[in-house]
Amino acid sequence: MTDFLRPATVEDALALMAAGGVVPLAGGTDLYPATQRRALPGLVLDVTGLPGLCGITTGPAGLRIGAATTWTALARATLPPALAALQQAAVEVGGIQIQNAGTIGGNLCNASPAADGVPPLLVLDTEVELVGHRGIRRLPLSQFLTGPRQTARQADELLTALHIPASALSGQSHFRKLGARAYLVISIAMVAVRLDLQAGRISHAALAVGACSATACRLPQVESALTGAPAAEAPALIRDADVAAALSPLDDLRATAAYRSGAAAELLRRSVATLCQPVPA
Amino acid sequence: MAITINGTEVPLPEDPRMSLAEFLRDGLHLTGTKIGCNQGGCGACTVLIDGQRVLSCLTLAVQAEGREVTTIEGLSSGDDLHPLQEAFIAHDGFQCGYCTPGQICAATAMLRELAEGMPSSVTGDLSRPAPLTAEEIRERMSGNLCRCGAHNGIIAAILQVAQEGAA
Repeated sequence: MTDFLRPATVEDALALMAAGGVVPLAGGTDLYPATQRRALPGLVLDVTGLPGLCGITTGPAGLRIGAATTWTALARATLPPALAALQQAAVEVGGIQIQNAGTIGGNLCNASPAADGVPPLLVLDTEVELVGHRGIRRLPLSQFLTGPRQTARQADELLTALHIPASALSGQSHFRKLGARAYLVISIAMVAVRLDLQAGRISHAALAVGACSATACRLPQVESALTGAPAAEAPALIRDADVAAALSPLDDLRATAAYRSGAAAELLRRSVATLCQPVPA
Repeated sequence: MAITINGTEVPLPEDPRMSLAEFLRDGLHLTGTKIGCNQGGCGACTVLIDGQRVLSCLTLAVQAEGREVTTIEGLSSGDDLHPLQEAFIAHDGFQCGYCTPGQICAATAMLRELAEGMPSSVTGDLSRPAPLTAEEIRERMSGNLCRCGAHNGIIAAILQVAQEGAA
């Protein structure tokens, strides 16, 4: 039984990982299909038994989400409206069987450019917590994701948690994705938007697009264009050219690059319009 | 080092990297659970672990240690079929039948999720219970494919059981 490890503490997990060649396993929803074999290769370390890796806690500094928290747990949690985009993404990741097993940390470590969890976390200024035998370090999510299927996690480190600072818990957020059909497909484009509205104007805007560049990214130029704008005029301020300038989409079997960036701009306009709608009395 | 399967405790497989789907079928000869795509896309291998629906092709059998697994074989008692099994027959919720065990296991968990007030991505108003509509059921069953195209019968069968449960 040496090829399956299920440590009970993070310390034990790190000691086992120090030897090298260890593949961390959480929900298994990406790891299995990626192997294309009957059995998982290598030494598999199941992280789901580690304390502190599941669940969401709130403190003065903000919110902490354990890396092995499942999509279902995220969707069911009572969270501030700033996390609505993340919860909307959670109920659209695969079918419910996938949502019951798949984890937010696994989504980040798998690092697909089309990972549903990334845009909603980018608009929340999320930092990831990595634990290794040299200690704990924190990185902004944008620096953690270094390329398609590539992250800054060292082979002997574990992603243990995500931290959302209190400053990013304001406002409301929205998530939209576009695929060839609604179910069980990889997205062509996806967006998350978080807006703070004050007296009918946007006081803070955070916009992110996924599946349209090597890693999902924020759109600072479009964010500046929206900041200070009256809510009613906001969607029209999102120009196709500004969105396209921030992205580097692929031409592939799912969509052309031009279609992708056009779709991303339209998804952003629709999400901004949804958030800027006057609240019905 | 054991799993409870349909109420019976069984020892874990010797190979720790055996999927739960393979263990059920090859190890325990519980062949009601089907393997379709074997990569989490079709839902045919759906079983319940502690009442939650999961894909047994993406779960290691050892990950279910100490937990309760329910398969299609555990839903009926003898010749007394589960209400969903009865309804699938009444509404022609299948043709070839290959996806049916996964459909019924998924629907069993789905009815509980509905009862617990779990919203889906098509639930508009989150402040009240999700309506029992075909659209809601279709969304919640989107992880289970039927290549025969029996979806209309499947949705009708589940809707009937859901409405009877809600009545």
